Amino acid sequence: MLPSPGVFHFPWEISSDTIQEGTTVRTFGRLKCYQPADSQAVLSSHYAATQHQVVVHTVFVEPFQPILGAQYIVLGELEITEGDGLRVRARVLNCVDGVDLTILQSAINEQRRYFNHREGGTDIQQQPP
Amino acid sequence: MHALRGDTEEEPPSMLWGLDPIFSAYARLYIKDILQMKESYQVPGIFFYKLHPIFKVDVLGTVVYKREREDFFCYGVDDSTGVINCLCWKDEQWKEHSGPVDGSKSQVTSHGGFNPADQLKKLLHAQRCSSHLEIGDVLRVRGPVKTSRGQREIMASTYYKVTDPVLAVQISWMLEVPQLYRKFYDKPFQLANSGQGSDVTDADGASATASLLGRASRLLKDFLREKAVERFRPYDLQQQLVPLVSSFPQQAATQQEPEATQSASKQLHKLFRETLQLLQDEGWVFRKVISQDQVYQVTEHDKDLHRVTRDIVRVDSKREKYAERGCHVLHILSCVRERYSRNVSKTVIEVVLKGLECNSEIISTTDNHYTVL
Repeated sequence: MLPSPGVFHFPWEISSDTIQEGTTVRTFGRLKCYQPADSQAVLSSHYAATQHQVVVHTVFVEPFQPILGAQYIVLGELEITEGDGLRVRARVLNCVDGVDLTILQSAINEQRRYFNHREGGTDIQQQPP
Repeated sequence: MHALRGDTEEEPPSMLWGLDPIFSAYARLYIKDILQMKESYQVPGIFFYKLHPIFKVDVLGTVVYKREREDFFCYGVDDSTGVINCLCWKDEQWKEHSGPVDGSKSQVTSHGGFNPADQLKKLLHAQRCSSHLEIGDVLRVRGPVKTSRGQREIMASTYYKVTDPVLAVQISWMLEVPQLYRKFYDKPFQLANSGQGSDVTDADGASATASLLGRASRLLKDFLREKAVERFRPYDLQQQLVPLVSSFPQQAATQQEPEATQSASKQLHKLFRETLQLLQDEGWVFRKVISQDQVYQVTEHDKDLHRVTRDIVRVDSKREKYAERGCHVLHILSCVRERYSRNVSKTVIEVVLKGLECNSEIISTTDNHYTVL
């Protein structure tokens, strides 16, 4: 069976309030740390004067060569863990260091704007603040 | 539930599908739309996105699923709106070379020299790399949409791995596709000369007249060519257009009030005059002598004109002045006017020169220069 599509979410949109467990997401961030023992990595990004972190469960994408400080893109399902809260169980974790984040964001927004317009502007909850 | 607004409308008849340019293009639709678009009830395998007939698509996305069979790969491609299976056939050549390909790197025999066999191996290796993807790679696929076991999939006619280390390709794709939707896919396709559009009566009337003129000129051309007519007088030919006029009035009468009163013979005459003028403008026919007796020469079958033109090119291209590049078309024209008829136009001469060139009697050296071998 095919998995569900990984819809782009900005890292600052990933919180348990708005997204249900099991949702497939695609997001990005700088690799801040990687703990091979726990198969866990943390992607961080800076937005609106706040540091946002996305915890990534890397068991499906191992072994991988972590490059600390590089931009990564992750695709996977959201899961709720005890203690740590929300994390993404990655199916794809690609290093995309050198990506132009501003253009990427505008491309994501452009795509959302198109779908919002087409679906009659009902889907506003995904619009970034 | 996700039905697109256009879906409820009647799909256009299959005869008109080919007129929609999107039909013959690889449509860059979102995978979500490929999965949801309605299949035609007239022809299975054709789908409709907002009344645009679609059968082949072009997608770019991340591989999130992979299955390998003896003959093909099945990749699940995710473009962030949907996931679709892509059936990618393996190249026949791989099977034969699958063993040696890996070893090819180690046994480089000749240094510096160009070894076609080695190069071919390298090419095959590169080809294989670009068609052998892993989960997480980016894949671009073009091909028709098929339904297999109740699921839509893309039967790849072309596919390759996209090397996109900084997402540049994906970002430009994401920016481009909404534009394509707004400008083309979401806009309804309107046939330029369809009779059904009531809001564009004026344009319709004009295009109907234009198409009538086109039909008339085509009819005359076919007739002249078929019967190898060398010259004619207008009234001999006018009758050829009768079938066009008799079918025309109902349409014209409603749209062009003043002309509705015209008798059929007047309409016929008018149409014939216009057609003749068109043929003259195109250089198809010309009048050798302007006199009371209207005789038209058919350029293509005027052997004298061809002979005169050929002789001019043959003789003058030997002159020193024209030896290098050949004779200019305007020079040929003025000579023809001097020797043959003052009424020959430039388009007529161009038609003659083209005809001579097709018969390899002369050759063109530039757009405007002709010579003989």
